[in-house]
Amino acid sequence: MNQKKKIKLLKKTSRSFLTYGLLAMVLSVIVLYFVTKYIIEDETEEALNSQAFRIEKLIEKEGVLINVHPIINTQEVKYVGTQRIKDTILYDPAEEELEPYMELITYKKINERTYKISVRTKVMELYDILQAIILSYVVILITVFLAQYYLSRKNTALVWKPFFDNLKKIKTFSIQSNKALNLEETDIEEFSELNTEIKTLTNKVISDYQNLKQFTEDVSHEIQTPLANIQAKIGNLFDENQINEKQYNLLIEISNNARRLATLNKKLILLAKIENQQFKTSNRINFTNILKNSIESFEGLNKVPILTTEMESIEINGDSYLARIIADNLLSNAIKYTSSEGEIIVKVVANEFIVSNSGEAAIKNPEKLYDRFYKENTTKKSLGLGLAIVKKICDNYDYTISYTFSDNLHVFKLTFN
Amino acid sequence: MKILIAEDEITLQESIVKFLNRDAHICETASDYYEAISKVSIYEYDLILLDINLITGNGLDLLKLIKKEGKKIPVIIISANNSLDDKVEGLDLGADDYLTKPFHLTELNSRIKAVMRRGKYDGDSNISFNEIKIKTEAMQAYVNEKPIQLTKKEYDLLVYFITNKNRVLSKEVIAEHLWGDNIDTVDSFDFIYVHINHLRKKLTDVAANYIRTVYRIGYKFTDEDM
Repeated sequence: MNQKKKIKLLKKTSRSFLTYGLLAMVLSVIVLYFVTKYIIEDETEEALNSQAFRIEKLIEKEGVLINVHPIINTQEVKYVGTQRIKDTILYDPAEEELEPYMELITYKKINERTYKISVRTKVMELYDILQAIILSYVVILITVFLAQYYLSRKNTALVWKPFFDNLKKIKTFSIQSNKALNLEETDIEEFSELNTEIKTLTNKVISDYQNLKQFTEDVSHEIQTPLANIQAKIGNLFDENQINEKQYNLLIEISNNARRLATLNKKLILLAKIENQQFKTSNRINFTNILKNSIESFEGLNKVPILTTEMESIEINGDSYLARIIADNLLSNAIKYTSSEGEIIVKVVANEFIVSNSGEAAIKNPEKLYDRFYKENTTKKSLGLGLAIVKKICDNYDYTISYTFSDNLHVFKLTFN
Repeated sequence: MKILIAEDEITLQESIVKFLNRDAHICETASDYYEAISKVSIYEYDLILLDINLITGNGLDLLKLIKKEGKKIPVIIISANNSLDDKVEGLDLGADDYLTKPFHLTELNSRIKAVMRRGKYDGDSNISFNEIKIKTEAMQAYVNEKPIQLTKKEYDLLVYFITNKNRVLSKEVIAEHLWGDNIDTVDSFDFIYVHINHLRKKLTDVAANYIRTVYRIGYKFTDEDM
């Protein structure tokens, strides 16, 4: 599955807010700069134009040439140039230094004479204004932005609070507890809808789970009862002593099959129960003692010796009933598949339980070993559920089980967590 | 001994009655919860076989009622439910044993006798059969008052034989009694013969002769025709 990197909702929304906010800020500052600059320059040009116009009128009326260094300069010239605006640097006697100026130079014909009128204005002031405007704008923008960011974070957290609260509740929801999910009410329509859907879903899951459990139990009951009847009737027939050997053998066969069916039924129910996680207990239990009891229960049943040279006393986290099943199943598996000349070696070392038994060749399909009803050797009457059950228990309690074949030994190694 | 069988499955009920009658027990039956309640409150019984799933109620409730009234009646639960919780709950409520269906009638018989032997009900904790005597509390068997050393399985086997005396016990039934579900590991029950022989050797010649081989079927523990 393609795993996408996970990011917190709040972080994600603030991150996009920050990114787009900053982008908008920078853009608006650039736009503001050019617009203000254009307006200022335009206004300055107009101001210079009207000043030149007034000087022109003054020359026309009074015939005086005004010269105010460095802002006004009029002089009579012989030629007519084109009107232009340019930036220049002039010495300002007031400031006693060179200053940048904007200069409008225009040529006017007044009373048959040509005058060159230059009006200037200090550019510095204009740019100071521009700077001031931009600066104030940026300050306002940052303040608003930060306030907005903080408020939106707070607000988002507040808005999403019911969502996060309910998420917490959903996380602690357990199907076994049989308790319906009690989600917090919210006035946000989308969340409310989500809650309703989740409630419907979990209620459905709970009821399905209950039905499944009930079904498992019912099936168990319904199958075990007729089997009990069969077994009891056969018991009665045995007891009456009025049957011949042939009939007896037939009855034994029926009885054995009934037992097989009962065992199969029991194991399937156990498997279903482990899968449904109906075993939840996890205590510190002494596995070695459980194993010793298990080995003892096979006494007289194993054709080959069970060697227990290394038996450390270890404690594990788990369920004693299931731990016993692990021990029973792995031992019974070893006993079943060891030839009469072989041996079985059982070890408990550190946090490992190892069962080895003699064999001639490795298992053909080790990947299928833990499948239900998988039988490596079809001549054996095994049900093929023992290892599947062991695997399920391991999965439930985070134990790991591995199979290897070396030195003519099948080795099952179970590592407790 | 007077036994009440509270079991809604009539066929099973009949089979149990038929089997137990041979040991001269008086068996009464209750086919549902209410019948069981009324019989328990009117009559005295030495033992109750109680099914958990009675049609009209839960056997465990009946058990609670019996214990609440302080009646000292041994109760063996027979249930189709192999769930550990039920087992634990049943035993916690004061049941003396819990037998999962399906079971062999001989197994039921030996459980009944084991419950009756327990000191709790003033029963005799010793088992005897002619010169054989077993002190069950010490798990020690004697022949002619002389103790004999038996392994756990041999001891169980001897107790099983005596509690089911005069009945034919097939190899399968014996194997299942001694090893339970573990007998799945073997393909044939012929190995039982080895265990029987070990036991025979530890008994006196006369006592060893009580274990009769029923040709190709199994064994029967009896002193008949001697």
